[in-house]
Amino acid sequence: MSGPGKTDRLISYLTAILLFGAAVFLIISGNTVLGLGALCLAGLSWFTSRRLLRRQGKPDREWLLDERLLQTQKLAAMGELAAGVAHEINNPLAIIRQEAEWTGQVLRQAEIPETPQLAEVRDSLREIVQQVDRARDITAGLLNLARKREPVIQKVDLNRLIRDMAALVEKEAKASNIQVIRRLQEGLPLIESDAPLLRQVILNLLNNARQAVGKDGSITISTRQAQDRRIVITIADTGSGIPPELIRHIFDPFFTTKEPGTGTGLGLAISRGIIHSLGGDITAASRAGEGAEFTISLPLRPETGVRHAATA
Amino acid sequence: MDKFRVLVVDDEEDFLETIVKRLRDRGLETHGVLSGEKALQFLEGQDTDVVVLDVRMPGMDGIETLKEIKKRKPGIEVIMLTGHASVESGIQGMQLGAFDYVMKPVPLDELLDKMRQAYERKVIQEEQL
Ligand SMILES: Nc1ncnc2c1ncn2[C@@H]1O[C@H](COP(=O)(O)OP(=O)(O)OP(=O)(O)O)[C@@H](O)[C@H]1O
Ligand SMILES: [Mg+2]
Repeated sequence: MSGPGKTDRLISYLTAILLFGAAVFLIISGNTVLGLGALCLAGLSWFTSRRLLRRQGKPDREWLLDERLLQTQKLAAMGELAAGVAHEINNPLAIIRQEAEWTGQVLRQAEIPETPQLAEVRDSLREIVQQVDRARDITAGLLNLARKREPVIQKVDLNRLIRDMAALVEKEAKASNIQVIRRLQEGLPLIESDAPLLRQVILNLLNNARQAVGKDGSITISTRQAQDRRIVITIADTGSGIPPELIRHIFDPFFTTKEPGTGTGLGLAISRGIIHSLGGDITAASRAGEGAEFTISLPLRPETGVRHAATA
Repeated sequence: MDKFRVLVVDDEEDFLETIVKRLRDRGLETHGVLSGEKALQFLEGQDTDVVVLDVRMPGMDGIETLKEIKKRKPGIEVIMLTGHASVESGIQGMQLGAFDYVMKPVPLDELLDKMRQAYERKVIQEEQL
């Protein structure tokens, strides 16, 4: 885990560089509109990183406001462009992967005598394929984040949905001696919501909790109906917790403290987008060293119009 | 709820035969195929509402098949069935637009219930268009 400021800056710079690359690629391949869009985004990212650099010297409040504003603008722009850029990048990625695999096949067929160099070439080919797959995970996440998947509203038995997802996580959790505790309020009313989207959120949160605990500990998932009749779900764990200076960033796209290749930092961003689109709210609380707790509140039915209000 | 059309995809022949038969007994128009590739072929030719898809199959696996189905026929609802619980693949499946991700063995009534909900979702979605 590297320092917070450092990770942020690095991610921002990387995003900027990636977007510059995408812009150049798009413009060269004749897709000028998308290219220019990517260029704007790249500029914006670059600007943000400069901000973060200067943040150290500034009082907290002041930069926070600027930062918020920037963040919303950036997210809005990103939503529209991400899908396009991800699509365009997916094609060359697929070709790179195919070519790498083909090269491997040709090598095998050529029956070249086994030498250390040959082994190295093979290793390198394998690495190319792996890195392409990583890049594709990222573009897939981006597409998912940007995709306006309109909720389809049906009656949902939330307790049952949670029991199913907990059972799915439990097997793997047990292997690392993590207990999954359920405190589900009986007799909850059915809610009008989107079950597959909720499953995605619950799985993401349970998976984060499992990763934070590592081994030996517990995850507690609870449901209840609050006084205002909304349904409240909490997922608490006994894991590493989230340092106070990081907690406001965890819902940002691409924010991750996990090793490269293990997390894309999109799980919570996607989850928040989903919960907002269902008229709900999601928050996180944590004291370092004492685990983390995520709280979702959902209306019995989404108010009309709410779907368009919040995708970021 | 009216009858709907189901395709079950699983490489285990015994399991496939049994479940197809039992779903037919419940009055559902049910077909079974043994691989992802065959599923895609089948869906090209035959209107289907709900697909029950095994995650682990030789050749094209469940996730790969799900991706293709959602690309070609986004309206079809897919329920993933898995013998080996894996959170990562569950997340992947849900992210790719599966309706549910269910562990084997699943009681038939429970599966039927999920299939009905999946079908209802398909109908609602068609009405929204
Ligand atoms: N339960 C938790 N305990 C401690 N930290 C958490 C917890 N959940 C999330 N975090 C922090 O928030 C970050 C962002 O989480 P998010 O789910 O968005 O991305 P990720 O898990 O890193 O990657 P991905 O979900 O894309 O695989 C994590 O890297 C981690 O630092
Ligand atoms: Mg995560």
